[in-house]
Amino acid sequence: MDRGGLREKTFLAAVALHLVAALVVGLMALPFFWALNTALKSDGEVLRHPAAWWPGEVTLAGFSEALQAAPFGRFYVNSVITALAATALQMGFALLMAYAFAAIRFPGKGVLLFLVLVTMLIPDELRLLPNYRIMARLNWLDTYWALIIPPAAHAFPVFVMVQQFRMIPKDLLDAAHVDGAGHFRRLVRVAIPLSKPTIAAATLIAFLGRWNDFLWPLVVIDRLSMRTLPIGLAYLQDVAEGMVRWNVLMAGSLIAVAPLLIAYMFAQRYFVAGLWRGALKG
Amino acid sequence: MKRNEFLTHWRRERHEWLAFAAFVFPNLVLFGVFTYWPVLNTAWMSMRSGGAGAYGTRFALFENYWRLFADPVFWRVILNTLVFAAAVIVIAQCVAFGVALLLNRRLCGRVLFRTLAFLPYVTTPAAAALVWVVLLDPQYGPLGAVYRAFGLEAVNLLERSGLALGALILVGAWKEIGIASLFFLAGFQNLPEECYEAANLEGASAWARLRHITVPLMSPVLFFLAVSGFIAAAKAFDIVVMMTEGGPVYPASSTFVYHLYRVAFQDYDFGYASAFAMVFFVLFMALTVLKLRMGAKWVHYDG
Repeated sequence: MDRGGLREKTFLAAVALHLVAALVVGLMALPFFWALNTALKSDGEVLRHPAAWWPGEVTLAGFSEALQAAPFGRFYVNSVITALAATALQMGFALLMAYAFAAIRFPGKGVLLFLVLVTMLIPDELRLLPNYRIMARLNWLDTYWALIIPPAAHAFPVFVMVQQFRMIPKDLLDAAHVDGAGHFRRLVRVAIPLSKPTIAAATLIAFLGRWNDFLWPLVVIDRLSMRTLPIGLAYLQDVAEGMVRWNVLMAGSLIAVAPLLIAYMFAQRYFVAGLWRGALKG
Repeated sequence: MKRNEFLTHWRRERHEWLAFAAFVFPNLVLFGVFTYWPVLNTAWMSMRSGGAGAYGTRFALFENYWRLFADPVFWRVILNTLVFAAAVIVIAQCVAFGVALLLNRRLCGRVLFRTLAFLPYVTTPAAAALVWVVLLDPQYGPLGAVYRAFGLEAVNLLERSGLALGALILVGAWKEIGIASLFFLAGFQNLPEECYEAANLEGASAWARLRHITVPLMSPVLFFLAVSGFIAAAKAFDIVVMMTEGGPVYPASSTFVYHLYRVAFQDYDFGYASAFAMVFFVLFMALTVLKLRMGAKWVHYDG
């Protein structure tokens, strides 16, 4: 075969490759596209059959209705408050614990670290019933406490941060010690500033877990005004499905996901680093 | 003597020890109350007599377990969960392997793909499930046009007993494909060049290179990812609640965790549900230990 023919063949192969890749990417992106397409349609057009691939007349009515449908704004506030608070506590406690394991002398701390890390082997589902009863006993059902306190301790950020803190050169911590800094100051002034990317990744993963959590809020929250976005969507589905307000539901879904997508776009590097470890953890 | 030794240690080291105790205190208390105690409590409660209305009052050893093993719904739910997790992993990994092979070539839009690949993984599962309900509905989604184009009857997968689980599998696979393909892509970059150069010299075809070099060398990664993905998929809950509630006729598409939720919070049969949770725990532990052993052997944490 002469060289021209070969070049033509590789060119065709490249075109085919790109087509297949585009098809797969298109299928992966389809749900996002269809959610937007439906959310931008008017009440009347949503009912039209067959469904159009593009809204005939773009309207934001679905979005404003999803936000006004009284509780939805409230779901948002609940999600933001509880996800931020639980993430902050989770990271704060994990940094303290990880620093202790990595840099403070204590007899038998290896066993203790093992006891903490094995909790990653315990599925949340196993702890569900007793924790529900603890919440009931404390009168924490239908409160922010139930959504913030039990998830505030998690072994995964401890695991990640111990690995990170162990990589910090001992000389740096010792130098701070000589300057008279106690452990807390060494943590805040030396260890944390040197670990910012890892902390960012772990924080985003913790936040993702809190924001997307479904089972625990579903169990401990019953009052409409205390629902977070995921279980608020479940409620909205029950209410709106009978009325076939798919534009409102899709707008609600997009609004629920928007902060994650925006955070992901701006901090993709840290998300990917964290997800990488998270997916390996399983 | 021993006591004395301890005291000298204590005098010298107490600042360290106290600092350590203070630093680990908040997490240890929370782990104790919300993890260690609940695990013991679930094990204990699984041995209390069952019956609707929270916990039974008498010790019943394995009564709940025998009831569980005699319950056809329990076996159906186990089967559903295994089929769901296995199908999600097989489909997602096959597609992802193909996608990764494609992306391993110089392809424009690779950066775009990397960005998109993580999106299903990041998206709130409840919201994604809701969108899939619309996508699968022949009236409100794009499938109606597809069915008509092929002259098929417009069915809603979610409303057919035999197909609802298939619809859940589709959504599960959609979530996994992107991230799995990035894992494979990372694996491909670590494959030794020399093998391929040698194969090229011998005139091996692309198919032969794939079959005899790429797949065997990647099989540890494939296997590890399959077990990790299986564990994650076996915990499916959000999409079941949002898409089928185990229906259309319970338990056609019910999974382990969804059934646990129902037994506990709709029947309020806590003793029985605890036994159910213990079975889940044992299976989960076995798989996780298997995964960790493989991970220690084959996976290099350099992400």
